[in-house]
Amino acid sequence: MTQTITKYKWFWAWNDDKEEAWLEEMASQGFHLISANFIANYTFEVGEPKKMVYRLDFYFDDRKKYQEYIQLFADAGWELVSEFGGWQYFRTEQVGSTIPEIYTDKDSKLVKYQRLMLYLTIFLPIFFMMLNINSPFTGPFGWLYNGVRIFMGLFFFVYAYAMVKLLQRINTLKKGNSQTKKH
Amino acid sequence: MKTPNIDKFLPLTETTSYILLSLIEPLHGYALMQQVEEISDGLITIGPGTLYTAFSTLEKAGLITKVGEDNRRKIYQITDKGLLVIKEHLRRTEILVNFGHKKLQNF
Repeated sequence: MTQTITKYKWFWAWNDDKEEAWLEEMASQGFHLISANFIANYTFEVGEPKKMVYRLDFYFDDRKKYQEYIQLFADAGWELVSEFGGWQYFRTEQVGSTIPEIYTDKDSKLVKYQRLMLYLTIFLPIFFMMLNINSPFTGPFGWLYNGVRIFMGLFFFVYAYAMVKLLQRINTLKKGNSQTKKH
Repeated sequence: MKTPNIDKFLPLTETTSYILLSLIEPLHGYALMQQVEEISDGLITIGPGTLYTAFSTLEKAGLITKVGEDNRRKIYQITDKGLLVIKEHLRRTEILVNFGHKKLQNF
């Protein structure tokens, strides 16, 4: 029977390179990712230490296109380990000294973050609807609704902050100071 | 016949040039990645994320088109417009290269 361990660790969407580095570090200790999910919960299979390269992509499309997308990565030697909310966790074993990459030029890497930005923008109106600022709720469950609203309000700030951070990341990439991996 | 405006696509990046040139014959993504690595002496590697993005962008721009499908793999080929673009890119690059060689001959 395979032995598994679970870890909770939170990463911000604009820090996907840090998450990749962490997953690689785990693999070098023999912990290989099985799944990741929304609540920052990572499950690992315990095995031999390996030099793996993890890369996160952000992608969503209809089923057929998604299959073609996965196939292209598989052909290039990238295994899809986990997927949630548009985030795709790919990994491959590192042979030799060259670090394999899923994005090999600046332009396409930019498109990845622009896709993420688009996704965040699409969901923005939903938060506004849930906040419903103009009508204070009264009645028996008013306190509950207002509590939820305060929570959503706080969440909205985090959300807005995420968008600003992402924009900064996009601008850094545009200027060509593409971040080098820390290994 | 009106010639399509191709200036907005120029200059092409190195990756795009190799992709367009490879698609003179119909190819699916994996074959293309291998071919580019081979003809560029390992100098150019195209990652799957980059290739997937390039395929969609070039298809939308009408420079390549889907000509078939092989088990979840789309097969693409260059279009007439794509041919115009890559030819013009090579012509301009040639002018630059010749000029460069002439300027640098004594250095």
